[in-house]
Amino acid sequence: MRSRRDLPLKKDIAARFVPKIVALMVYLGTLCLVFTLFLVHSTHVWEKQFTMDLSIEIPIFSETPPNTIQSRVLELLNRTPGVRYATAVPQKEMATLFRSLLGEEVSTGLFPLPVIIDVSLDGKERIDTHVLETHLKNISPQIQLVDHRAWQSQVSNLIHTSVWLALIVAFLILFAALATTIFATRTSLLIHRQVIEVLSLVGAPNSYIATQFQMNAFKQGLLASSFGSFFAFLTFWGLSSLLEKVGFSFIVNSSFFFYAICIFVFAPFFTACAMMLSVRWAVMKALRI
Amino acid sequence: MSSSYAILCKIFKKDKFVVSELIAQLIGVGHQYKDGPEIFKGVTFNIEKGSFHFLTGPSGSGKSSLLKILYLGLKPVWGTLNLFGEDTLKMKPTLLPLIRQKIGVVFQEFKLLDHLKVVDNVSLPLRVRGLETRRGYKHAQELLDWVGLGDCFEKYPPSLSGGQKQRVAIARAIITRPQLLLADEPTGNMDDEMAMKLLHLFEELNKTGTAILIATHNQRLLEKLPYPQFTIKEGTIVKLITKKVR
Repeated sequence: MRSRRDLPLKKDIAARFVPKIVALMVYLGTLCLVFTLFLVHSTHVWEKQFTMDLSIEIPIFSETPPNTIQSRVLELLNRTPGVRYATAVPQKEMATLFRSLLGEEVSTGLFPLPVIIDVSLDGKERIDTHVLETHLKNISPQIQLVDHRAWQSQVSNLIHTSVWLALIVAFLILFAALATTIFATRTSLLIHRQVIEVLSLVGAPNSYIATQFQMNAFKQGLLASSFGSFFAFLTFWGLSSLLEKVGFSFIVNSSFFFYAICIFVFAPFFTACAMMLSVRWAVMKALRI
Repeated sequence: MSSSYAILCKIFKKDKFVVSELIAQLIGVGHQYKDGPEIFKGVTFNIEKGSFHFLTGPSGSGKSSLLKILYLGLKPVWGTLNLFGEDTLKMKPTLLPLIRQKIGVVFQEFKLLDHLKVVDNVSLPLRVRGLETRRGYKHAQELLDWVGLGDCFEKYPPSLSGGQKQRVAIARAIITRPQLLLADEPTGNMDDEMAMKLLHLFEELNKTGTAILIATHNQRLLEKLPYPQFTIKEGTIVKLITKKVR
């Protein structure tokens, strides 16, 4: 591209703070997007791992022995349409669950453990949990049926809302960065109005003047947002290493890592292009008046 | 036939104009600054291809405003202005740069860009038209040599004297060999010798077909170069035809 340097935009006082603001906005925006991505991937992983739809708790202290109740419950469940499978949680696994709640010092052998039956539904047929509960109560009135789908749906809704909120925040951050750029451009147009007037009088079309502004905005935007994105990447890396040390995997899977890197790489280009276009729009609009 | 055209034909007692020969047509042009007095009104004249005119009148008579209207830096409050066959009040805004590219202007206050070197200032109109910088520099160097500023190529305008700035402004105005050259007191900061030299440059440019309109109140200049004069008197234009005496 031909060198166009008729406007002293590099020494522009009005635009001096813009790269710093853009860098900060890109830093926050990319972290926000990566957090959104984390939520999306985590939800996906969690939903995949979560196979249990209902659970049935068989009381320990009952007139009928728990084993008898268990076999009658399993028999009922296997007869019920829409149930993919129903299995009792092994006592060893139950002991592990209780140990994590009560601590290693407490021996689970000291007290009887309840029997839990996990029920997975095939999703093809709708199960009326009230009817099922009535049948279960006929076996033993103390039997408890817990429908996990209700709270799973609530958690899922909450996560989806969080994802949308995070996306809106990221959008607002981008909007704020662009608005700052546009305001700085308008000030810059006022500062350089004499130069612009001369350019216009010697026959420069508005697009010639706008090109100078937009190229400057693109260079500034690319540099500033690269800095912002780089520091966001460092933060992401530091955070994931830190969480790794405390036993929490932030990088949920390889595809999350790939998309996160894509965000860090493409955010500067996207921001620079958005800045360039918004500056061009602002200049063309101002010069048309 | 448009009404403005018919009026012009009537005024100049001609059946028709050869439009391509007409650079500018002013029909009943008038101007008034906001809340200010009327500067001039009913100004009607035309500038033909290859013509050479002076625009005279007392200070504050509106010479600069009239030039400003001609280079489309100001919209007239009344009347019609046709430039290169385009009605400037009705034309599309996209045509404005194209019209301005045909006009060279020497401003009274020079309007040089202080952050650009002299060579960049002079070659600016070429750059705007898309000519590559190197070729623009070559043209600029030739013109700077001609106006006696060959050694100021790399200098910046703030380091030049008033007369030098004036010459840089002239070089910038004529570098594109415009069809119409408008100059507002172009010799105001020069001694007589340099003033004559530059006016001869304008004459040379005029011989190539450029129409020239120079606003001045320098009587000596008017005496030495007796081209026709447009004089703004009591808010309107009077054309004085002066015989060229050499």
